[in-house]
Amino acid sequence: MGAKARKSRGRASWVAVALVALYTSALGQQTGLDLDGHAKDPFRSSSGKVVVLVFLRRDCPASSRYAPAIQEISKRYADRATFWLVYPDKNDGAEAIRKSIDEYGYRLPVLRDPDRALVKLSHVQITPEVAVFDQRQRLVYNGRIDDWYIDLGRSRPAPTTHELEDAIRAAVSGMVVAHSEVRGVGCYISDLD
Amino acid sequence: MLHIRSGLSIPQRRVWGLVILVAASYAIAAVSAHSSPPKAAQPPQITFNHDIAPIIFHSCSSCHRPGEAAPFSLLTYSDVKKHARQIAEVTRSRSMPPWLPAPQELKFSDELRLTDDEIKLIENWVAQGSIEGDPRDLPPQPKFVEGWSLGKPDLILTASKPFTLPPQGTDSYWNFIFPVPIQETKWVKAVEIRPGDKRYVHHANILVDRSGDSRRREAEPGAGFGGMEIRIESQVFDPDSHLLFWKPGTVPSEEPDGMPLRLDKSTDLILNTHLQPSGKPELIQPSIGLYFTSHAATKFPMLLQLENDLKLDIPAGDKNFLVTDDFTLPLDVDLMAIYPHAHYVGKDLQAFATLPDEKKETLIHIPLWNLNWQAVYRYAKPVRLPKGTTVSLRYVYDNSSENPLNPNRPPARVVGGNRSNDEMCHLWLQVLPVNFDDAQGDPRMVLQEALARHNVAKNPADFEAHYNLAAMLQAKDKLQEAVSEYHLAVKIRPDDAVGNNALGAALVAQGHPAEAADYLQKAIRARPDYFDAHYNLGFALAGQEDFAAAADQFRLASKLQPNDAGVEANLGVALAQMGRYDEAKGHLQRALEIDPEQPIAKENLQVLKEMTSH
Repeated sequence: MGAKARKSRGRASWVAVALVALYTSALGQQTGLDLDGHAKDPFRSSSGKVVVLVFLRRDCPASSRYAPAIQEISKRYADRATFWLVYPDKNDGAEAIRKSIDEYGYRLPVLRDPDRALVKLSHVQITPEVAVFDQRQRLVYNGRIDDWYIDLGRSRPAPTTHELEDAIRAAVSGMVVAHSEVRGVGCYISDLD
Repeated sequence: MLHIRSGLSIPQRRVWGLVILVAASYAIAAVSAHSSPPKAAQPPQITFNHDIAPIIFHSCSSCHRPGEAAPFSLLTYSDVKKHARQIAEVTRSRSMPPWLPAPQELKFSDELRLTDDEIKLIENWVAQGSIEGDPRDLPPQPKFVEGWSLGKPDLILTASKPFTLPPQGTDSYWNFIFPVPIQETKWVKAVEIRPGDKRYVHHANILVDRSGDSRRREAEPGAGFGGMEIRIESQVFDPDSHLLFWKPGTVPSEEPDGMPLRLDKSTDLILNTHLQPSGKPELIQPSIGLYFTSHAATKFPMLLQLENDLKLDIPAGDKNFLVTDDFTLPLDVDLMAIYPHAHYVGKDLQAFATLPDEKKETLIHIPLWNLNWQAVYRYAKPVRLPKGTTVSLRYVYDNSSENPLNPNRPPARVVGGNRSNDEMCHLWLQVLPVNFDDAQGDPRMVLQEALARHNVAKNPADFEAHYNLAAMLQAKDKLQEAVSEYHLAVKIRPDDAVGNNALGAALVAQGHPAEAADYLQKAIRARPDYFDAHYNLGFALAGQEDFAAAADQFRLASKLQPNDAGVEANLGVALAQMGRYDEAKGHLQRALEIDPEQPIAKENLQVLKEMTSH
């Protein structure tokens, strides 16, 4: 199955990637660890809803500064989408993560992803990036939340594009959506051990 | 016989100079010694220990360590490896290390710019897999001083209340007031600014407020106040000569020999901070460490401001809006530091000097301005600018939608102003006058007068330009000229409290109390709690021998500032003139309780005693 490039909108260029056999992506390993160390499949407990994985690093200020926005967007779509915070850094331990989500006021379930299974599944490279899966567990979008950051030294007064919300709305519409991707600005996951 | 002493010995309170956001500082010395730069013939295998650690230790670790501004440490191989690709990317884009000026002939003392070779080396190291290498190649970690970097300060001031930075939204600008609890004049050889949690503070500036003016802006004492730019009224010719500035990585150092900062009794230090939300609420509670010296200043640098805010009226969508200012120096100076300032629409900021022999020198060029990394830049060596040199400012603004930092979407007309969404066009130069002729008086006055005349000629409709020129002329006892400049200022802003007060005070000094009273009353209408205007009006009324009305004004002034010896003394004199000797005596004595040396009180109390003993 080939996916068609999504049309660019606003000033953000949508890097559309044609992914073959998208359906298979959700069949790979798709579990992370909850904060008690148990394997957890974010899709199993979200059946029928859109799933959003939000990838964060505690030592990445770009991902920390997004906390209020992530919390707000998750609230806005709470009845249609399930959000999970995912920490891919082996060194981000359960205790440190608990403390951090408490400080940032998150009310969202958390997964650790030390083996990067969810990273692979989601094709993300940076924190903060998100992955949006539709009700049939097809990856419809991965990449930045919006265009707030221009680069690591500069951010706009307010974002002018809203890729995450656009993707959630498209996914909940139930229509078949082509996969799309826009790289985020932040910290590389591949730099981690 | 009782008498009111002549106007000269009674302090004529007026306001000198409106100073907008000046402050500042100190060299921001870089850190450890730099090991030899990478050679052109690179070893086949690039390693952290051999090639990368020297660059990181020299250019990154001073901020990237615990307790400093950077979000993570870069002190070990594993620290660096965890961010290797990111480091390659931000060094390639030159967003790190933060250094805005383009390379130029005149060097700055603390350049944080990586060479192209260094950047390439990092990129290749990451491409080769970020190898650690032989531990024997690892240079020693740089040493940093923990805590106060110049040792325990002689005086530590801490903000009385923290500011709560909201978790999100646009950047915050907050001002903390630090009253300085000293009883006599002190000389400060160094200042260390601890801006609070350094991770969220983009920069911080100290302004010296000798007038107590800023306190009026606080909702309650100690609360601090918001605002990106502050304006301080000062009562005497007193050009702030120091740039006291903190940005991430700042290492405090002592002021150059002979140039300590003067701190008087009842001075406030105002710390102007630029804060960036972190995603969670943060408490910001800065402190300031002061290091004193017993040696008074022997050299007096000053701050020269080039500016052209009145020309800032930038149409929506204009990509290349140019603003200029050109000022010719009336005497020789050594340029020590430079501080360009614009807001979010500023794009390309440049300053250059054209020497008398037509040679052109770039003083600074910032091709892509970013307010977040604004800084004071100190020259490695003072730059001699001879008399007749023209210093030029060329700032280009981008008010189109192509400027991602544009605060308006869609773009809107932007004008000059103090709010962060307004624009600014300022350039501060810290200069030390040299080779001057003492007979001409304080060389800083010569410079300031030339600048004031330049500003009046540049923008004849500029209230502050006329006002500052007038105050300058008054300080030089050129009263007639001063009064006509004040008139021009008040014509531009007929209801301005400060302008009307100054004009009134100058007219009193000139011996025109009746005319003065009109302007002073206008000042009071504009600002009913204006101490200076009530005081001056009391004086103007006394000059017309209306002592009852004068006493009323001094009483109002005394209510506003209950511990002012001058007010009490003058109130006593006015009452004595009305024949109310007992009441007069009470106020004259009260004046001496506040200030045992108050000359008017001393003299008139003596006269009263002699009178009543007969």
